[in-house]
Amino acid sequence: MVTGATAPGKKSLQTTLEISRAVKAYYGGVQAAKQEGKPIVWSYGLIPREIFHAVGAPVIYLEHLPLLMSTKQLSGRYCQIAEEEGFSRDVCAFHRCFIGCAAEEEKHPYLAKFWAPPDLIVASNLPCMSESKSFLYAANHFNCPYFFIDAPINIWGKEIPDYAVEYYAGQLGEALDFLGGYGYRLDWAKLKEAVALSRRLVYLWREIDEYRKAIPAPMGIVDGLTCAFPLIQLPGTKLGVELYERLRDEIKERVENKIGVLEEEKLRLLWIGVPPFYNMGLLNYPEQYGAIVVKSFVEYLAGGAFDPAIMDPEKPLESLATKALVDIVNPTYQNMIDFAVQTAKDFSVDGQIALVKRSCGLIPGVLRLVKDAVYQADGIPTTIFDLDGMDLREYDDAATKANIDSFIETLLDSKRRG
Amino acid sequence: MSTIDTMRDILHNPERLVADWKAQGKKIVGYRCIYVPEEIIWAAGMWPYPIFGTPEAITQADSYFQPCTCEFIRNIFDHALDGKLNFLDGLVLCNTCDAVRHLYDMWITYIKVPDCHIINNPQKMYDESGYKYYCVELKRFKSEMENLSGNGISDESLQSAINLHNQTRGLLKELYSLRKKDPPLISGGEALDIVMASMLMPKDKCNQQLQQLIAEVKTRESPKTRGPRILITGSIIDDPTLIQLVEEVGGVVVADDLCTTTKYFWQEVGQNKDPLDALSRYNTERCLCSCMHPPERRFDYLWELIEEFGANGVIYFNLKYCHPFLYEAALFREKLAAKDVPTLMLEVDHSLSGLGQLRTRIQAFIEML
Repeated sequence: MVTGATAPGKKSLQTTLEISRAVKAYYGGVQAAKQEGKPIVWSYGLIPREIFHAVGAPVIYLEHLPLLMSTKQLSGRYCQIAEEEGFSRDVCAFHRCFIGCAAEEEKHPYLAKFWAPPDLIVASNLPCMSESKSFLYAANHFNCPYFFIDAPINIWGKEIPDYAVEYYAGQLGEALDFLGGYGYRLDWAKLKEAVALSRRLVYLWREIDEYRKAIPAPMGIVDGLTCAFPLIQLPGTKLGVELYERLRDEIKERVENKIGVLEEEKLRLLWIGVPPFYNMGLLNYPEQYGAIVVKSFVEYLAGGAFDPAIMDPEKPLESLATKALVDIVNPTYQNMIDFAVQTAKDFSVDGQIALVKRSCGLIPGVLRLVKDAVYQADGIPTTIFDLDGMDLREYDDAATKANIDSFIETLLDSKRRG
Repeated sequence: MSTIDTMRDILHNPERLVADWKAQGKKIVGYRCIYVPEEIIWAAGMWPYPIFGTPEAITQADSYFQPCTCEFIRNIFDHALDGKLNFLDGLVLCNTCDAVRHLYDMWITYIKVPDCHIINNPQKMYDESGYKYYCVELKRFKSEMENLSGNGISDESLQSAINLHNQTRGLLKELYSLRKKDPPLISGGEALDIVMASMLMPKDKCNQQLQQLIAEVKTRESPKTRGPRILITGSIIDDPTLIQLVEEVGGVVVADDLCTTTKYFWQEVGQNKDPLDALSRYNTERCLCSCMHPPERRFDYLWELIEEFGANGVIYFNLKYCHPFLYEAALFREKLAAKDVPTLMLEVDHSLSGLGQLRTRIQAFIEML
C-alpha cells in the first residue's frame, strides 16, 4: 500500500557526488566489457569481491541493482514480474526485484543503463538462504555456468578455526579456477595487492567512522548509504581507496570546523534494517524534530565491521576467508549483537529505529536480540515496525511516519524530563 | 491395539516412554533436523528425540520472532518458552535454513536450558572438500555429546548405533515398497504417522514395532478404491491433515519426498572401518533438503521417487515463509512440466488455516488428473 509521496534524500558531501559518478562509471565499465566480448559475472556483495577485481572480471552484484531500481521507484514493478515468474511475495524483495530485472524481456530505459546479462554466476549462502537460491533462476534463465561457495556459519565468534578457514579458502581457490576457465587467469601478485588494498579500504572506513561519531554529526545516513558503495563493490581496488581518502579528508575538515548536518542536534538515532531506497527522503524526516539519523547499520553489512589486521596480503585466500566468515552478517549473531551494542554507544545515540522487511529471512530474526542487548547495555530504546525498504508496493507512508513521530516524541519527552 | 495404533499412541503421547527412559537415569537430547547424526547421540547412551511442531496456536514466541519467520520454528520456540521441552537434557540443531539459525540465537539467549548445540554442517553436498570439513565438525560434535552424556563413544558403540539405525531405515523402506502396489496397502496419512513415530521412538523398540507392522500390513486386503497416484514434496509436514485431505478428495498419496518421510530413511549409512567417517560420508551424500546444494541432486531424487512409485501428479507443499523451498518452487515446477508431470503448488501456514479453500484447489487438481 503506497500512501503519500516519495522523495529523494538530502546529501551534504562533495565526495558523495563523486561516488555517485563512480557508480555510473562502474556499470559503464561492465557494459563496455560486455561489448568487448568479455564474460560478465553475476555475484553477491558478500562473496570476497577482491577475487573478481584481482582477475579483472566485470561483476554485477545482486544487491546493488535492485537498490538502484528502487531509488527510481521501479522495484515494485520488478518484484511483480518475479511473482509472475512463480516467486512468492514472501521471498526477499531484493531478490525478487533482481529476478524481475532478469526476466523482463524489453528492459526499462533506466535498467538498461546498468544492465549486462551474465555469462557466469558465482553464488554463496552467506549470509542467507536467498543468496544461495535466487541465482538458480538466473542460471537456468540465461543457461550459464554456476559456481557455489558454501560458507560455514560463524559459531565461533571472532576466532575462526583453521578447518573452517581452509574449507572456505579452498572454495575461493576453486572459484578462481572456475573464473580462470573463462579467461580470467589468476596472478597471485595481483590477488595479494587486492587484499592489501582491501585492508587499506577498511582502515580508511574505520577512520571515517571515528569522525562520524563526532557531535554534531558531520554526515548523515543518506550520504552514508551512497558512500558505502566502495566498501561493497570496490574492495581490492585503487579507486575504492582513493574515494575513501577523499571522503576521510572531507569529513575530517567538517569535524574540525564543527560543521554538522543539523545546527542543533536534539536526538541522535541509529537506523537498523533496510532503509526505504524508494523514499530516501524519509531518512531526513526526523530532522524536523532536530533528530539526526547518524548511521545505518546496513552500511556494516558488507564488511566494514571487523578488525582489518586479520588480513595478511601474503595469505590472500585465508585472509579473504577469515574476513567473510567473521563478518557480523554471517549467522549466528553474537558478533552482530556485540557490534550493535558498541555502535549505539560509540555514536552516542538516543534511540534506534529498527525495520522489519517482511520478506527478509535474516534481519527480522535478530531485531529482538539487538533491541534487548542494546537496552540492557546502555538503556537505549529501540522501536521496531514493518517497513519493506525494497518493495514499494508494501510501503505505507502515513503509518511509517506515525511510528517515527511517536518514537521521537517519546524520546524528546524523556530527554526533557531528564 | 494394532501396531499402527500403538505407534501413533507413542507419537502423540510420548510422556510414558520419556518417564521410563528418565527413570533409568538416562538423558534425552532433542534435535532438529535430519542432518543431525542421531547415531552419535545414541552411541553416547542418550535418546535422540526429534522435535516436531504441534497444531497449537503460537502465543509467546511472537514477541521474540517476527511473524514473517517460519511458523514451524516459532511453534517450537513457543513450546520451549512454555516449558514443554524442559524434559530435554540438550538440544541439537544444524546448519540448514535462516529460521533454524535464528532459533539457535534465540535459544541460547532466552531459553538457556536445555543446552543448545549446533552442528555446522556444509551445505554443499557431494563435494570432497565439504566432506573433509564435515569430518572435523563431526569430531567436535562427538566430543560435545561425550561431555553431555558423561560417556565415551567407542568405534564399536558407534558402529552398533549405525547398524541399529540402518535397520530402521531398511524396515521403513520395506514398508514403503508396499505403497508401490495399485492401490497401495497403506495410506499417505498412515505412512507419515509411522515414519514420524519411528523417528521419535528409541530404535531398538521401534524396529520391533516396524517388523510387526510390516507383517500386519502385508495381510491387509487391497483397498477397493483407486485414484490418481500423488507424490507430495516440499517443506516439512508434521501433521497428516493435508495428506488426508488429498486422499479424501480422491487422490492416492503413494509417496512423499519430505524430511519427515523418505528423506529420513531412503539411504543407509555405508560400511567403513571408521564409523565417524561413514557418518560424514552419509550426511554429505544423502537426499537433499532444499537448503542444500546442488538442487539438481534433489530433483534427481524426486524423479526417482516419481518413477519408482508411479506417481501421476506432484503436490509441491510450501510452508509459509519457508524460503528455501519457496525459491526452488518455480524451478521445480518448470522441471516437472518439462517431464509432463502435472504439479500443484501450495503455500500454506503451519496451522493449516483455510482448509476449505485448500480442499477446493486440491480437488480441482485431482479431477484434472
